Amino acid sequence: MNYPVWYVPTFGGGLLIALIAIVHVFVSHFAVGGGLYLVMTEWKGIREQDQSIMAFVKKHTRFFLLLTMVFGGLTGVAIWFVISLIHPAATSLLIHTFVFGWAAEWVFFLVEIVALFIYFYTFGRMDDRTHQTIGWIYFGAAWMSLFLINGIIDFMLTPGAWLVSHDFWSGFFNPTFWPSLFFRSFMSFMLAGCYGFITATFLKDEQTRHKMIRYSGTWALISLALSVPSGWWYISVLPEKARGLVAGASPTISRAATVAAFSLAALTAVVIIMILLDPKKARIRMLTVVAMIAAMGYMGAFEWTREAARRPYVINEVMYSNGVLRQDVERINQEGFLKNAKWVQNKEVTQANQLEAGRELFLHQCFACHTVGGFNNDIIGRTKNMSYGAMQKYLATIHEKRYFMPPFVGNENELKSLAAYLAAGLHKKPLTEEVITVGGRGKSLFEDNCAPCHAAEVLKPKMAGWSKEKIRASLDKLPALNPAMPDYSAPVADKDAMTGYLHSLNNMGSAAAPPKEQGATLFDDNCAPCHSFDVLKPKVSGWSKAKIRTSLDKLSALNPGMPDFTGSSAEKDSLADYMVNQTGGAK
Amino acid sequence: MNPASLIPTADTLTAHWGWFHFLLMLTFPLHLFAMNAMLGTALSAFICHLRPAHPYRDLSHELAKALPFMVAFTINLGVAPLLFVNVLYGHLLYTSTVLMGLFWLAVVPLLIIAYYLAYVYDFSFEKLGNKAAYAVLAVLLLLMSVGFIFSNNMTMMISPASWLRWFATPGGTLLNLADPALLPRYLHMMTGSLAVGGLCVALYSSTVLKHNSAVAKAGTKLGMQLFTWLTVLQVLVGSWFLLTLPGEVMKRFMGNNMFSTGLLVTGILLAVATIISGYRHKVVATLLLTIPLVYVMAFMRDSVRGGYLAPYFDVTKVPANMQWSPLIFFLVTLVLGLVVIVWMLSKLPAFRKS
Ligand code: HEC
Repeated sequence: MNYPVWYVPTFGGGLLIALIAIVHVFVSHFAVGGGLYLVMTEWKGIREQDQSIMAFVKKHTRFFLLLTMVFGGLTGVAIWFVISLIHPAATSLLIHTFVFGWAAEWVFFLVEIVALFIYFYTFGRMDDRTHQTIGWIYFGAAWMSLFLINGIIDFMLTPGAWLVSHDFWSGFFNPTFWPSLFFRSFMSFMLAGCYGFITATFLKDEQTRHKMIRYSGTWALISLALSVPSGWWYISVLPEKARGLVAGASPTISRAATVAAFSLAALTAVVIIMILLDPKKARIRMLTVVAMIAAMGYMGAFEWTREAARRPYVINEVMYSNGVLRQDVERINQEGFLKNAKWVQNKEVTQANQLEAGRELFLHQCFACHTVGGFNNDIIGRTKNMSYGAMQKYLATIHEKRYFMPPFVGNENELKSLAAYLAAGLHKKPLTEEVITVGGRGKSLFEDNCAPCHAAEVLKPKMAGWSKEKIRASLDKLPALNPAMPDYSAPVADKDAMTGYLHSLNNMGSAAAPPKEQGATLFDDNCAPCHSFDVLKPKVSGWSKAKIRTSLDKLSALNPGMPDFTGSSAEKDSLADYMVNQTGGAK
Repeated sequence: MNPASLIPTADTLTAHWGWFHFLLMLTFPLHLFAMNAMLGTALSAFICHLRPAHPYRDLSHELAKALPFMVAFTINLGVAPLLFVNVLYGHLLYTSTVLMGLFWLAVVPLLIIAYYLAYVYDFSFEKLGNKAAYAVLAVLLLLMSVGFIFSNNMTMMISPASWLRWFATPGGTLLNLADPALLPRYLHMMTGSLAVGGLCVALYSSTVLKHNSAVAKAGTKLGMQLFTWLTVLQVLVGSWFLLTLPGEVMKRFMGNNMFSTGLLVTGILLAVATIISGYRHKVVATLLLTIPLVYVMAFMRDSVRGGYLAPYFDVTKVPANMQWSPLIFFLVTLVLGLVVIVWMLSKLPAFRKS
């Protein structure tokens, strides 16, 4: 609201930041760990009086210089540019709070450049001791850069005592500072090992090649092993809200966690293969590519999680992703958002400008995370189930229901105007207040509370065969069904009305539900807590009954996250029957 | 709509504004020197390719080796002043950055390409043969286009009246082309940079390359010629720039503001002196005159900014909440960093002798 917004409707800035950041961390961590790798490897060459190792280090230094100094340095500048473009208010706050931290980081950057140039250009032309010292200076400066940036980045997630004191050091040495420093240091050593593979594969002499591959692999494996506990430590010191998001309440973090798990497994496997087996040259290259992709997946997932865990804030507890300061919310709700915003043309909502003002509200409050017709978190798709009335109710409690979104900030007219823009501006829906439809009260409750995420038609098959009691009971424990779902805290009467409506979806016109097959009940009781049938269906489509039946005997082997099914053999038969009926597979 | 109402509120400073201003005015000319050396090196190397005679071929090869260093230091030394500009004028800078977002982001890929090309030009100088000339020309043009993007942002951030265009064009595709002072300002900057860059080439040739006297002589001559003739041209471009400034800003240099007027007079005197010493190919004397000249120009530039912003924003009025310990931490780091750098450099000649 203080700043203009870079508005490209189909393209969200968040994605751009993430892309640049992931590429950058992948190189900048190498710039740190690789420094240690170079001096240690050079030392090994000196100790063992091995010219082939020295030649390797020299070659690797050149690669290191070209990659970290040019690409690493400039993508760092790119992050600075892109965040000031997409989060100007937050950038300003970070720059002002930590200006001397950034300035000190610049000094280390300068030392790094000088040291690396000297290290590279004097290779083999300086006495070993001095050359090693220069290398150590490089590593020390690079690690100090990490140290400083780490403090500032973690401040965004866990500002800690700074919230009260506004003191530089308490913001810098914030609750996630140390675990993150360890984690990042190990990551950087791990990456150094992986990048070592790249230079090593190009070595002509077979013996040296294998030696250096094994050496790099050991680096990567040890560091990788150490990174896992420090990652856990990091998560364990997260504040409660953030930990909730990490534990499953945020859909994007869940996806990142899957990526991290797969990457970690793949990376470990590749590194072990590289160490133990003596793969041939061509195969090493392929494995190196896999290792690099996996390492990027692991790091990327971590960075993504760190970014997403502070949602809806860009600086946790201080500033929302859309640049609104939390401390201003109360006041703005009283005075009105548009009146307080600088970059709007409509300072007050009127009948005539309702949609236009709504568009400006969207731009300044929602566009930070939602594109309009774009491929990332498209608002058009996300609002298609909601009527104008439902939208208003949704906006009034958007933050309470969906913690990862900021509250709507502004007065009542402004809220209506945003709802009008979303309903009529985007979807051409009528702007009529509260239409009571056939479904009656239950239906309108559903529209206000559930429709934002669930279309009735999609929910219907999932609740096929559910009894009223079951529906009613699940309304009391929505988060237990799926951690991403908020509690439905409504009076009992509302819940009952809603239950009636939900039940009627599958039982139109019939007073009593048809008798349910045993298989369906078994599915509901044993599988449905984690798998909706819709999601499972494509995975098992085409499976014969026999195949389903056998897999029911060894669920935990299919996926270690799944418990074994403890039912009797007859129960397994009828469950398999039910599933195969639903998917139309061979009996 | 009154453009003043668009100006974002500036955040509280963590030290007296004078500290940031001091650091800005200290580091910005350092960035300029590196940038000038970089552009001058690229231009001189390109000119060498146009002259087939023997020392020029060797000279361009020597300059090719130096170019990547210059790019590295230009970027590094640009970070510090950009940081301090962020602190003092961030609310203005970010606003104009959003308006020209697409171009601003393009700076990074342009620099990456230029930087890698500079390395190709260096590492594959022999292999490139005649194509080397195109490589270094591309580096020069890419870097100059980055300068153009910077000129746009630096002028747009001080012209809130131009910001109203955002409402019709919010996609980050605006530039400040309508400003009559933009082009002369950019050309003034580039002419000055290439001139001082020529001086740097002369200095480099007459010191580092002195072991090869033919190359040293060619480099010194070329660099000093560039310096002298471009500085003569600069007197014209500079006057043009001065005349395109808005009245109130221009009058600062015409007696309305004693400090600014003093700067202009000093600048002109120094410039004339450098033309004379440059014409006589006196490298060291010219350098000693040019260093203060660049600082004078940086202060004049600061005064232009103050003039543009006078109706809108006064940097001295931004509230500050002094925190000493981070400032001391930075100053100590800076001193230690410089000591370490000097120590490392001191190891270089030692190895050269042995
Ligand atoms: C901090 C980022 C952020 C902001 C700001 C934000 N949203 Fe969201 N929004 C999200 C995310 C993330 C999702 C869910 C994405 C998913 O399910 O993968 C979402 C989902 C939605 C949905 C779908 C229903 C739901 O609850 O999942 C609607 C509707 C929606 N947002 C509307 C808005 C509106 C209106 C605003 C502005 C007042 C807004 N959002 C601001 C991040 C944000």
